[in-house]
Amino acid sequence: MRFSDLVDLIVANLARRKGRVLLTAIGVVIGTAAVVTLVSLGAGLQKNATESLWGISDLSNITVYPGYPMEIKGGGGGGGGGGNGIDQQDLVLITPTVIEQIKALPGVKRVIIQDYISVGSEITFDKLTSWGNFQGVDVADLTDMNLEASQGTTELGRGKLVIGAYINRNFYDPNPRPNAEPIEPPDLMGKVLKVTLIKWNQDGTETRRSYNMEVVGVLKESKGESDYNMYMTLDELTRWNEWGMGRKINREKEGYNQVLVKAESPKEVVAISEQIINMGLQAYTPQSMVQGINSFFTIMQIIFGGVGAIALLVAAIGIANTMTMSILERTREIGIMKAIGATNNNILTIFLGEAAGIGFVGGIGGAALGWIISAVINVFASSYLASQAASNGYMSSTPIATSTPFWLPIFSIVFATLVGLLSGLYPALNAATLVPVDALKYE
Amino acid sequence: MATEMNDGFISTADLKKHYRMGETDVRALDGITLQIQKGSFAVIMGPSGSGKSTLLNLIGGLDWPTSGSIRVDGEEIAALDENALASYRRNKLGFVFQSFNLVSSMTAEENVGFPLRFSGIKASVRKERARGKLEEVGLADRFDHKPTELSGGQQQRVAIARALINNPLLILADEPTGNLDTSSGVAVMHTLVDLQKAGKTILVATHDPRMLSVATDKIYLLDGKQVSEAQYHETIEKMTWEGGE
Repeated sequence: MRFSDLVDLIVANLARRKGRVLLTAIGVVIGTAAVVTLVSLGAGLQKNATESLWGISDLSNITVYPGYPMEIKGGGGGGGGGGNGIDQQDLVLITPTVIEQIKALPGVKRVIIQDYISVGSEITFDKLTSWGNFQGVDVADLTDMNLEASQGTTELGRGKLVIGAYINRNFYDPNPRPNAEPIEPPDLMGKVLKVTLIKWNQDGTETRRSYNMEVVGVLKESKGESDYNMYMTLDELTRWNEWGMGRKINREKEGYNQVLVKAESPKEVVAISEQIINMGLQAYTPQSMVQGINSFFTIMQIIFGGVGAIALLVAAIGIANTMTMSILERTREIGIMKAIGATNNNILTIFLGEAAGIGFVGGIGGAALGWIISAVINVFASSYLASQAASNGYMSSTPIATSTPFWLPIFSIVFATLVGLLSGLYPALNAATLVPVDALKYE
Repeated sequence: MATEMNDGFISTADLKKHYRMGETDVRALDGITLQIQKGSFAVIMGPSGSGKSTLLNLIGGLDWPTSGSIRVDGEEIAALDENALASYRRNKLGFVFQSFNLVSSMTAEENVGFPLRFSGIKASVRKERARGKLEEVGLADRFDHKPTELSGGQQQRVAIARALINNPLLILADEPTGNLDTSSGVAVMHTLVDLQKAGKTILVATHDPRMLSVATDKIYLLDGKQVSEAQYHETIEKMTWEGGE
């Protein structure tokens, strides 16, 4: 039998029973739409989550914090504070000696010390004011931390700042005129910022000290911590902090707030971080978090897909039922086909084709419906997520709730067709193996 | 009765078809040995239940015998597998049934061309050949009619056209006039005679005595056994007298 003839015959046979085929196909439509929508939702949520994790995508990094008696892991990017108020005795410090030990671990490429400002500060530029996270790092060039400049350089030096991509958004006019337009974030590249350090004395008076810092570079957007940081040399930051405390800092006794350990390759990250944890420190790896999130969403997608698959299973039973009915009604026709020379394979192919056809029609309908539902969910959820994001004070790219991968509609149509084919297998085999003379006698 | 098996175009030897129906063993055919020559118009006469349809179905490869042999055109039918049987039915046979057995959703033209689909013939050729056959049976103006739009006689002629579409050697007709009025029955009979004259072998199972007038071979069946013409008439007469069947 020619393929075109087969298709032609299947279409004609399905068209003969439009109502029933349509009702059966609706079952498949619902099942397929459920699969497409739920998997899209899962994929969308995963995309959302991983997009907000974009900034920690350097999987060879391990961030190390001092070890607290009760381990509080993965404390975000903040850090801060000079360790005041924590019982120093129980704390496992990151002292220069410890840093040497970490450097000696196999697979460690380098260790970068990061320290935060612990003294009050104020930044002014033009008539605008801002605040900022000053971070001192013991590298001469930020490329060692895998940071790239969008403007200027990444090289640090005395009196120089390399700032994150979002720093300029924090500038505001402290004395705005009434009804003034919100200000445009200023272009800070090459500009000199006045940084005023503030410390309070015992008697309640305050002392101020100002530095002029030149912005020599602006970093590329990373959607991570670096967007909000102002990088300077560790030496200079230490001097600021020492001025704030009014004394010298002894690193062997006080340690550092945070170090960044870079592994030779992401494969070694887990082993290194385990050894660091064994030293009593806290190690935080983006890798474990990304992996955890990915496997969580994979499981979620499987569960979502499974719910849809149950709907498809119900639809499959519907197809099997319809085909069984149809074959009963057409027993005589099967007899005729056999009498005029149809082989068992011909009959099998025709009925399997009809079952697959129902699945295919339902699959197309379901893929389209699922895609539309996903799009509608997106419209409503996006505005909700956007308002949430805005009220939380950060605005990344447009948030999405559902994301339909390009393969999903194709896959679901193929899958629905296969479901149809399988549901039709038993009835079609029954039809194909009928004894012709019995089929012809069937009333 | 002939003892040589492979003599005729159709030959059967000790052909049996038994089956159980509930508690009873039914001997639908009980040892039929016959020969039919190529180009004959053979008529199997018998009352209902005599086994004539069973014989026709066995020769047509629509059913399997319990034992015995069937040879058609040198081929042992009882030994063929299902695919070979399908090909045998497709290439060598044309069936005509009492109840026409047309596909109700198809037009006359599509019904006639239907067997060609299974031979992989493309649509345009099918159409042309189907129309040719319909013209042969006098239905040139009924190409696009569905079976329900045709009279019984016309439907049977569509069925005959379908039986002829693959240019078979043998036409098997099971009570072809059974559902037709007298004049339509006669027309169908004449069509079959014309086919015989054109060289086809015709095998008709019927209890329509008119068929005997055109038959070249007559086979009488009673209760699954072949009987002589005299025996047949005697028994039928007796059955009628006794008021039974």
